[in-house]
Amino acid sequence: MSTEPEKLLVVEDLTTTFATPGGPLPAVGGISFNINKNETLGIVGESGSGKTVLSRTIMGLQPRTNVTVTGSVLLNGHQIVGASENEKRKYWGIDVAMVFQDPMTSLNPVMRIGKQIDESLRVRLGMSREAAKARAIELLELVGIPSPERRYSAYPGQLSGGMRQRVVIAIALACSPKLLMADEPTTGLDVTIQAQILNLIDELKERLHMSVILVTHDLGVVATRTSRIIVMYAGRIVEIGDTREVFTNHRMPYTRALLESSPKVTNPSHTRLIAIPGRPPNLMKLSAGCSFAPRCAYATERCHQERPELQSSGAPGHFFACWNPLPASQGAPTS
Amino acid sequence: MTDTQQPLLRVRDLVVNFGKGRHTVSAVAGVTFDIFEGETLGLVGESGCGKSTTGKALMRIIEPTSGTVELDNVDITALKKRTLRGARTRMQMIFQDPISSLNPRRRVKDIVAEPLDCWFRHADNRDAVVSDLLNKVGIDPSVYGNRYPRQFSGGQCQRISIARSLAMRPKMLICDEMVSALDVSVQAQILNLLEDLKAQYGLTLLFIAHDLAVVKNVSDRVAVMYLGKICELGPSDVLYDSPAHPYTKFLLGAALEADPDSPIHGDVLQGEPPSPMNPPSGCRFRTRCPNATEKCAAEEPLAREIAPGHQVSCHYPLAITRK
Amino acid sequence: MSDLQDEAPLVEKSEKREPMGVLFWVCVGWIVLNVFGAIFANVLPLQNPLYQNYALVNAGPSLHHLLGTDDLGRDIFTRIVYGSRVSISVGVGAMIIGFGIGAPLGMLAAYRRGRFDAILTTVMYVLLAFPAIIATIAVLSFWTPRSLYKIIVVIGIASIPLVYRVIRTATMAVATKDYVTAAKVQGATDRRILVKELLPNIAPIGISFLLIGVATVIILEGALAFLGLSVNPPTPSWGNMINESRTVLAQNPWLALFPSLAICLFLLGLNFMGDRLRSHYDVTEVKL
Repeated sequence: MSTEPEKLLVVEDLTTTFATPGGPLPAVGGISFNINKNETLGIVGESGSGKTVLSRTIMGLQPRTNVTVTGSVLLNGHQIVGASENEKRKYWGIDVAMVFQDPMTSLNPVMRIGKQIDESLRVRLGMSREAAKARAIELLELVGIPSPERRYSAYPGQLSGGMRQRVVIAIALACSPKLLMADEPTTGLDVTIQAQILNLIDELKERLHMSVILVTHDLGVVATRTSRIIVMYAGRIVEIGDTREVFTNHRMPYTRALLESSPKVTNPSHTRLIAIPGRPPNLMKLSAGCSFAPRCAYATERCHQERPELQSSGAPGHFFACWNPLPASQGAPTS
Repeated sequence: MTDTQQPLLRVRDLVVNFGKGRHTVSAVAGVTFDIFEGETLGLVGESGCGKSTTGKALMRIIEPTSGTVELDNVDITALKKRTLRGARTRMQMIFQDPISSLNPRRRVKDIVAEPLDCWFRHADNRDAVVSDLLNKVGIDPSVYGNRYPRQFSGGQCQRISIARSLAMRPKMLICDEMVSALDVSVQAQILNLLEDLKAQYGLTLLFIAHDLAVVKNVSDRVAVMYLGKICELGPSDVLYDSPAHPYTKFLLGAALEADPDSPIHGDVLQGEPPSPMNPPSGCRFRTRCPNATEKCAAEEPLAREIAPGHQVSCHYPLAITRK
Repeated sequence: MSDLQDEAPLVEKSEKREPMGVLFWVCVGWIVLNVFGAIFANVLPLQNPLYQNYALVNAGPSLHHLLGTDDLGRDIFTRIVYGSRVSISVGVGAMIIGFGIGAPLGMLAAYRRGRFDAILTTVMYVLLAFPAIIATIAVLSFWTPRSLYKIIVVIGIASIPLVYRVIRTATMAVATKDYVTAAKVQGATDRRILVKELLPNIAPIGISFLLIGVATVIILEGALAFLGLSVNPPTPSWGNMINESRTVLAQNPWLALFPSLAICLFLLGLNFMGDRLRSHYDVTEVKL
């Protein structure tokens, strides 16, 4: 990264706080990162880590009431934090589009899939009915749906889960977005279908020169398909860096614990798993120190008292938030 | 796993059909396997392959259409309702959804005591037995016994489910996707707990899951299901190292390793499983199989043993590479 | 078990539920007051509801007659209190019959499914297709002399299919949960599953529907009384009183206003209570 690559998305000190009857809930607590053009970034975390709230905040998709967003999200020059609905409509679909987790609920069950793709083409791009239909069929073909002319007039219920997710991707691609936000795009799908969809996203990214954010809980999904990853815990980034660097030379104990606790196909059966004790913290009752400290084997007094900020590991672009990081060479996973 | 050993559970030609007449769907289309005492058999497959239905049919939660299920030489499928009730206590089940598995309006200690209450066991020292069970699964009964399930996380609910299933001291435990709703870090805790309890209680497990890595981690032997049939069954390390059925190979190829150096497999299985309402003739996998020939369409491959304890239902099994 | 590092059972979601709110308790108070009045009407220091004071007909509210008098000089307040006896007992009585028969059938049908459910549900839907109010009117016009019991029985029977449908739907949602299957697998008897697993989970829906049902029946009784098909005059009921006020609406609007207000406030209280109870005990409702 000697020459500065062109940045598509710049997130600075972003926080998202929900007002709940029990008090403020900081779901995203001060996050800064950026995405270059034509790059795939992975965001990994367990449930409650704030990864989904983060992706929705970047999209500008949070409810209007009971939520406070501060900081800045600059997407292709547009400021998203504080943008009005009308302003958001100008960049949704064109600058950024989203693929949701559940293709069951993100498609309208009583509308033909062709119509659902047409809609944004005609409204957003002002295409004629015929042109929109031709483009929709082209898109269906692009996402690998067999006999797209026939599927054009099918209802979502007539398609399998994998096919539906392809349709969702086709809708997202309708206006050729510069950034594709994929929130757990393969979570409900079978492994063989998951591989198909991930390959498809990869392929489309290259063909259409998009950037992709892949939000997932599954380290396997991001391992081979991203150039950089962010590891989130309790609403904050705990480690960020090149994918290979983070997998092989992670410094944050949480990253290691996450890697070690997932079973591997390559390990012999009955391999004892190294579980992380405890459970993710309650975001309403975060301590002043490191959020992972109560579950961390290396935690010291300082970890409980003072929150570690992101610091450079020395490797370019690799940062971690830890007072007692793992030694640089021993970070490799045990497998 | 020698031939002389008696299996604890013997399943023969289990068939489960849903619907009638033209709309019949064979969710399970003739499944045969044994589970030996003290072992864990993993059952993997993609959604709709019939693995969960198989588990439920073993317990007769779903009535099997035909076939036999013998637990300790007692044919469960032939039992009348009254005797079935008793037989079921020897075989228990843990479900996928930890929240839905527990009655939200009952206290944890009552949930765990439910089987005891049903059978009027340990009426005098019920609380002590319940406390012991909760301790075993790592939940402090004195603090949490009086709470309701909604106050627990998914992992803790699954622990309570496990405690409940062990109350009657079953010999066999069927785990239906029991960790798939949990985060990885919690999943590891539950899998470790299961291994510990298996040793402690001398349990025999049928572990049903879609996650190949999880299944391998807990299983001694693994059966792979596709569209209602078992296509391959063998010792887990052998099966994962050198799969003989093309489907197993694709399945393993599609499994994502948390390792940036693992190759992105070029040969991704194309297409999607055909509808079980109208399964292909002959081998059920032939429509997606790159090695399929006319023989595969004409003739259904029967399970045959290609190595001791390693069965495969394929006319052209892949060569086994010994380590 | 040594390395079983427990997912530290840290229970943070508080055991306390959010309070019911002042309005709920005001409603409860109002309903209790009404029921109390209905039960103890003869003991309370009230005037005779049938005593006619021709010296003071169609009088407005005064100190002696709090809500005024009707066209026969009877005290309206007293008659409203006595009238609540009819309204409330018809409401509660009919719902006891409706729930007593409809709820167990609905639970059983949803739990058993199969042919039992298919036949019963068909029968109930046929009954539902029948306009209940017309049937009630028809039966009551022929089944004379009318008495409170007959009205309760007729409305009670008419409400069975409605209760059946609500309870069956509620039970079906619960009966497919894994904990019901789990109980079955552990060897719990059907009766035990119905009582221990299903009943507590459908009770909130049942109770709120019961309250709303009572309210609906009170309206129905009012409508019947308005048509002269409820208890015979001079026995007061809220509906009767509104019916009687028709002829003297111009001279004495109070006579129509106060019984209507009594019905209105009572129903409002019941409906609000029912709704609040349902949402309060709904464990699935996310409270964020």
